[in-house]
Formats: sequence, C-alpha cells, structure tokens
Amino acid sequence: MDAITVNHLRRLYKSTDGIIKRTTKEVVAVEDVSFEIRQGELFGLLGPNGAGKTTSVKMLTTLLIPSGGSATILGLDVVKDANKVRPRIGFIFGGERGLYWRLSGLDNLRYFASLYYVDEATSKKRIPELLEIVGLKGREREKVEGYSRGMRQRLHIARALLHDPEVLFLDEPTMGLDPVGARELRTTVKNLQSANKTILLTTHYMFEADALCQRIAVINKGKIVALDTPEKLKENVQDLSVVEVELYGIPQEVIERIKALDFVVEVSIENRDQRQVMQVHTPKGPEAIPVLVEHLNGLRIGRIITREPTLEDAYVRLVGGAEQ
Amino acid sequence: MKRIGLNLRIMARAFEIELRQNMTDGFVLFGILIQPLIVAFMALWMLKGKGPDYAIFVVIGSGMTGLWTTLLFNGGNSITGERWTGTLEPLVASPASLRVVIYGKVLANVTQSLLSMIGSYFLISFAMGYPLTLTYPGLFFLSLVISVFSLVSFGLILASFFILIPDFARMVNTLEFPVYILCGFLFPIALLPGWTTPLSYLLSPYWAALALHGAAQGTLEPLQIVGTWGIMAFFSLVYILASGRLYRVILRKARRDATLDIVGN
Repeated sequence: MDAITVNHLRRLYKSTDGIIKRTTKEVVAVEDVSFEIRQGELFGLLGPNGAGKTTSVKMLTTLLIPSGGSATILGLDVVKDANKVRPRIGFIFGGERGLYWRLSGLDNLRYFASLYYVDEATSKKRIPELLEIVGLKGREREKVEGYSRGMRQRLHIARALLHDPEVLFLDEPTMGLDPVGARELRTTVKNLQSANKTILLTTHYMFEADALCQRIAVINKGKIVALDTPEKLKENVQDLSVVEVELYGIPQEVIERIKALDFVVEVSIENRDQRQVMQVHTPKGPEAIPVLVEHLNGLRIGRIITREPTLEDAYVRLVGGAEQ
Repeated sequence: MKRIGLNLRIMARAFEIELRQNMTDGFVLFGILIQPLIVAFMALWMLKGKGPDYAIFVVIGSGMTGLWTTLLFNGGNSITGERWTGTLEPLVASPASLRVVIYGKVLANVTQSLLSMIGSYFLISFAMGYPLTLTYPGLFFLSLVISVFSLVSFGLILASFFILIPDFARMVNTLEFPVYILCGFLFPIALLPGWTTPLSYLLSPYWAALALHGAAQGTLEPLQIVGTWGIMAFFSLVYILASGRLYRVILRKARRDATLDIVGN
C-alpha cells in the first residue's frame, strides 16, 4: 500500500484589498499536484522558492484545506480524517520557529509529548533516546534561545519523532544550516529512512535530493514537471554538456541573445559574490565556446569550463533557467 | 474516562508551560508582581479614612479589573505569542484538542494574576495597618474559585477570536473599559442607564463581581450568593459547550483561509 497518495491537489490563496471598494485577488500556489509515495520510501519534492512545496506539505499535514483534489496518508483522507491522520504523522518546517525559546529543549519535548498523548513512562524512555539520536544529549536542560540554528533544527526532528510516527514531512530541514550542521542532519534523515519511516523531504538543494531521495518530483509554478529516480532525471540531460562562463556583470540583453542561439538549450545565471556564472546547456560541448565568447565581446570574462551535466542541470532545464 | 485523564494531563502541562514562560518574561513579571503592588498601595492610600466597607469594595473591584485585563491581554495574547514563536501550527496539527491547551494557558494566567493581587492587597493593607474584613470568608473564597473557572471559560471563547483574526490583539483594547463598567467592578451597575442592565446580565464577570462584593461586604444573603454561583456555572457550561462547536468552525476557517501562520501586527 502507498503511504501517501496525492490526486490533483490544488490550493488557492485569496487576498482582499481596499476599504470601501474591496477587491479580491486569487493566487494559485498549487495548481495540480499528483504523486504516490510507497511505505518506507524517502521521496523528494524539489522546486524553486514559491513553487508550492510548503503549501503542498501544509495540506498533507492537515494545516491547510485544499481548494481542490484529494490526498490520503496511510489510507486516511487529510481533510475528512484529519484527527486520525495527526497522531500518525510528524513534521518539521525549515527555520527556527516552532519551539518555545524561553524553555529548555527538554521542556519543549515533554510538552509536545503530552500533546501527542505519549504517556509519562514512554516519554521518560523515549526523550533521552531521541536526544541521543539528534546529538543533543547533555544540552537538553539549556534554554532553546541559547541553541545554535543547527541544534534547534535537530530539536525539531526530535519533536517530530516523539510519538514514533509512521510518516514524516521534512520541509527544507537544512535551510540556513552551516555545511557541517547540514551534513549531520542529512545523516540523521538517512538513518530515519533505515528505520523504515516514510519520508517526504522538500528541498531546493539538488545534491541533498540526489544524496538522500529514492525518487524525486520536481515542482514548478504549482505543477509537477518531472517525477523519477535521480538517475533517470539526470539521463534527461545526458545528451547535453554544460559550459560555465565566469563573468563580472552581464546585461539582460546579452543573456537573451545567447538564449536565442540555435545550439543553446537552456541558460542559467548563478550569482557568486561579485561574479556571475553563466551556465549554458548545449549539445555542442566545448565547440560552443568560441561562439559564446564572440557574443560576450566587451564583457570581462573569467574562467571557462565544460562539464558533464548534474541533477542540478536537469532541474534547471525542467524549471527554466531563471536567475538563482 | 481515559480520554478525560489524558486531556487533564495536557491541560496541566499547558498550565505549567504557560507559568514557566511567564516567569522568564520580565514584562509579564512586572505586570504580575510589581504593578498589583503599586495599584494596591495607591488604592488603599487614597481610601485612608473612608471606612473598611468602602475599602474592601475597591480592593475587590480593582482586583477584578486586574483579572479581566489579564484575561483579555495575557490570555488572548498567549495565542498571539504562539503565532510569533511559530508554535500555533504544531499545536493545531497535534492530536491534542486546542481548546484543552488554551484552557490550561488561560487558567495559568488568571490564577497567577489572582494570587499575586490577593497577596499584594494583604501585604499593603498589613503594612498600612488597614483592616480588610470579609463578612462571609468561606463563601468569599468559594466565590473566588467559581469566578476563576467562570472567567477562564469566558476566556476560552475570547481566545478563539485570536485564532481567527491575527490582528485581534489590537481590537481587545476597546473591550477593557466597557467590561469594567458593565460588570460593576468599580461602581454598582444601578448607576448606569437601564438599557445596559441586560448586557451586564449576559457577562459572567458581572456575576463574579456580584458574588465577590456580596460575600465580602454582606450585601447579599448566603442563598443569593449561591444563586450567583449557579448562574456562573450555567454560563461556564454554555461557554464550554459553545466552544466545542466554535473551535471546530474557527479552526476549519483558519485552515481554509491560511491564517494559522500569519503573525498579526
């Protein structure tokens, strides 16, 4: 049985403006999302900011009512059976909110354990185990306000696991973490999957999805634009090479001119401090370099390299090469 | 039966968490410990020479104003606080009943405020050598306990609006003084125009003030005091029963309108 099924899920946000003459505006956050996640699978939902990842997760965690479509968790409808779904899922949202900062990590866990009807005896046994798993043992009596961002994120994970849920939703769990903290957290997530939890992970870090997920759905503008294993997604761009050109300022009209070249499939720009790295997806490989340089005439050019495409390139091709 | 036990545990934990959070907040501590001392000192200083009956009326009346303010600001604002900390969503998405959690939080705020005010008045009156005599001490303390539960049940209804409307904290300012006046905290409602009387009767804080004033000054017979308890119990029951439906409707609307993660101004 699938742990999660999502059928044509849709969500609109309405906002009103004006005092006397009120106007209502509708924004489509999730247009049409469908997928299934098998029990014990680590599934990635990958997309740029504003693609509809968090909205989708909020509908699945019963915090938002869908405007259309349906979804089930372990066979239970997320709207009609919300009260039955809640004890069986755990979730964390990226960032530092969602904890009581003036209380200790232990107080936070004890409180949330009671909210999930975890009895006192189980709670006393489970909390130290979780503190050990997330690496907060010895720091649990300190106030959360004194924790680092990574420690807070790990406390979130412990909170989500208090009632030993079958399904976990991790919404950008490594957002804002330093590289070491992010790596530790990824190890924790990997271990959770080994414990046969079904996990839906949202991220916009390609390497994270590549390293962790068995299957990935790429979401853009509220729609699933691709759904496959990381390897299969990469195959979509195997016929292409990526030429990376380091630049120190590039006008929009030059980008448009390069996009219009017949051998160019996709162009994306990545800002790195004072520089921009233009990534050109092309089947021509290094042969494209002279033509590209010709079009960049007059601009300050740094390093130029040609490389094999990655999952990130597949993703860029799927969601379009907007500036990252 | 098991469900009741679990809910009582959640309520107790919410009560404890709210108290512990308040104890680490300098602003709340000032409101709970220092402000009542200042108010008590000023009230009793002004009443010097007016006689013990009048003093006890003002002591209870100003105590009730403090209780109402606590209910309005700390009780309701605890929901606003949950929005600020981003914990409202985890609370709503947990299997626990939000009503039970909020009841525990409001009870914590009201109890804390009440104990601090009683302490302040006894301390200041003792320091100033001012007698605070109660006509029916037993009935007074029972009235106090029933009043707390009645006010907390009222607070449960009030808090639901903080869930529905992220900016509700700004609107509550307008509710502070009308309730002081309509409930006869500081002067009898007989001084108000007749058309306001039915409004007073609909507010449980009015019956709480009546019971407390009556038991302290002896202006009500014991049976009449018991009558006010019955009315408070009736209102509490109505509030609690109504809150079941109200919270279902409000939480559904908040999930539909996506207002749970909005931080009000």
